[in-house]
Amino acid sequence: MNKTLIGFVRKELTQTLRDPRMKFMLFMMPMVQMTLFGVAISNEVKNMRLAAVFDSKDYVMRDVYERSLAGGWFVPAKSSGESDPFRLIQSGNADAVLIAPQGGFTRGLGRGDAPLQLLVNATNVTQAQAVENYLRQIVQTTVMNDLNIKAPESPIQFDTRILYNPSLETAVFMVPGVMCTLMVMTTMMLAMVAIVREKEMGTFETLISAPVSATEVIYGKTIPYVILGMVNLPLVLSVAVFIFKVPMRGSLLVLCLAAFAFVCTSVATGTLISTYCKNQQQANLASFLFMFPAMMFSGLMFPIENMPWSIRWMAYFDPLAHYMGLLRNIMLKGGGFQYVALHIGVLALMAVVLTRLSFRRFHTTLQ
Amino acid sequence: MTNSFVWARAIAIAKKEVFHIMRDPFTLALALVMPIFMVVIYGIAIDFNVKNIHLAVSDSDQSQSSRRLIETFGSSCYFIPFSAGSPVNTLADIEAENARASLIIPPRFEKDLLAGRSARVQILVDGADNSAVGSINGYVGAIQTRAAKNIAGFDPPAPYELRTRFLFNPELNSRWFVIPGLTVVVMAILSILLTALTVAREWENGSMELLLSTPVQPLEIIIGKLTPYGVLGIIAVTFVFVIARVGFGVPFVGNIFVFGAGCLLFLVTYLAQGLLISVTTRKQMVAMQFAMLTGFLPSQLLSGFVFPVSAMPPFFRYFTMIFPARWFMEISRDTFLKGSNVFDLWLPFCALTFLCVFMIRRATQKFKRDLEP
Repeated sequence: MNKTLIGFVRKELTQTLRDPRMKFMLFMMPMVQMTLFGVAISNEVKNMRLAAVFDSKDYVMRDVYERSLAGGWFVPAKSSGESDPFRLIQSGNADAVLIAPQGGFTRGLGRGDAPLQLLVNATNVTQAQAVENYLRQIVQTTVMNDLNIKAPESPIQFDTRILYNPSLETAVFMVPGVMCTLMVMTTMMLAMVAIVREKEMGTFETLISAPVSATEVIYGKTIPYVILGMVNLPLVLSVAVFIFKVPMRGSLLVLCLAAFAFVCTSVATGTLISTYCKNQQQANLASFLFMFPAMMFSGLMFPIENMPWSIRWMAYFDPLAHYMGLLRNIMLKGGGFQYVALHIGVLALMAVVLTRLSFRRFHTTLQ
Repeated sequence: MTNSFVWARAIAIAKKEVFHIMRDPFTLALALVMPIFMVVIYGIAIDFNVKNIHLAVSDSDQSQSSRRLIETFGSSCYFIPFSAGSPVNTLADIEAENARASLIIPPRFEKDLLAGRSARVQILVDGADNSAVGSINGYVGAIQTRAAKNIAGFDPPAPYELRTRFLFNPELNSRWFVIPGLTVVVMAILSILLTALTVAREWENGSMELLLSTPVQPLEIIIGKLTPYGVLGIIAVTFVFVIARVGFGVPFVGNIFVFGAGCLLFLVTYLAQGLLISVTTRKQMVAMQFAMLTGFLPSQLLSGFVFPVSAMPPFFRYFTMIFPARWFMEISRDTFLKGSNVFDLWLPFCALTFLCVFMIRRATQKFKRDLEP
């Protein structure tokens, strides 16, 4: 590092951190957001509104209903004058309705033919399937219990164990994902806007005429954001580990290395995009055009494995996908050498390629 | 102020804004290409039903029964079994992300089965990916029943029958769930982001002061600047709607006017919010961050687009009520799939109207106060 570069980096840091709002955005916001989203979002099925249509004498059916409510998945449906079960779901007062057969479920069981009907609102597919599975189990156990039958044991027994996150805490899964999204937002956009702002204000030309080389200008404009991104890491990481109790099974050093590779890639992406933009508005919109698919292919919201190959290959070019995988692998599984090395390698390669590309773009536009 | 509102001036400002948009390739791309791109990609890519689960198998029994068990997994079209060797290797495969689950068959599997004892196998599921675990558990349960029937001929008669009807989406097609939600996300992004940026830019350039020294009224500026983006939003939604119906065959069973009314209300609310942001921040960089924070992220993460509102902790279930996207998400999905009428949706409509009026009031107040000292 030479003196010019150090001076440049220092100037850039001061300039970014001068605005108190920016400081807040940079250091507090990611922590606040992570807490918010970590607490709020989950894929669990909860508070589904269940209604049941049955006679007051139908005690097995009443047991089924009460048991379902006791499990925590369901809450009673809002009572509205509606008697048609279909309308009950259509009007949004219930998500699922259990309908006892003619003459009651209890009597139907005695006769041996008791078609119990279940209507589920299937607009949310995963929820609907989960509700069906869950109710099936409840009906099964209730019937066995009430009729005092011992269920014949299946000759093949599966012992299922869930690894890494046995109680299926959503936060453990979501928080690394949110962390990744927040880190890319701060680093990429800052670097991009910083460069475009200089362009817009015409100060870039001044910089070029000063006795600094183009390489120094670019490094000077990007290194500060890599530093800021890395400063962010312990903040968000401590929220993850101390507030959400996300386990940290891998080595901290490896995680830092992964984060470093990712932040470099993200800053390099920002730099490259900035070479195509004339003003801040364009930069902001362009960052958006990048963020949207990047978030979608990252695996935060939708499993990548499910995508058909015709578009799945795009995920391999998404730095977020690699980093998200790395975070989950290192934090939850302890980080197998092969996997970690491969993906850090890919990220590093991306960083190098993107930096080279933006260098070339800069040289052609500047000289 | 003596002069009153004149449409010609508002139209002139709108015209100027249209030129601005046409000149800027990124704005046009964002407004017209991205919605199409999003719907197509989402429509093709998104499937919540987890398939192609790589299953690392360790078969220490190597008997006919154990092979049939593995076949049962393979023929379910959810799992792709592959042989991993020892039980420890299967674990290593999960760790290295080569497998999502593993099946460990102990050496005495067939013997136990023939002797009438219950034969146990172990299944390990990768819990690092929560979204898949639920589905895998469901499949495993179904496979157990099938395996017991096929291999051991175990098929106890059930004293009852549960007949499930999946309403509104009988084929359990994830697209029908995702695409109506996309209309909300697309509109949210376009309206809030573009307005926040465009008005903040005028402040930053100082051209807002210039505009004000002309006889143009603040209200004319607002209407002139926002109308083009409103129109863009409507065009984008129309695109999404047509692609959803024609390209992906998503049904629309509700009333188109109910949906349209919801669209308009939502659009105006978000335009007003974008205006409020830009008037408050007056800097594009900060406005962008705010727009992301209050528009983009909530519309994706807190609106029920993917993560259901009903699953949130109580505080957040109430907290999400301040986001227009949450209400419009309900209107959009219910009119698309359930065919709900206005009376079923009275709550979302009331809430949306309230938020809309509130935002417009706040934005114009702030705008006027800042302008007329």
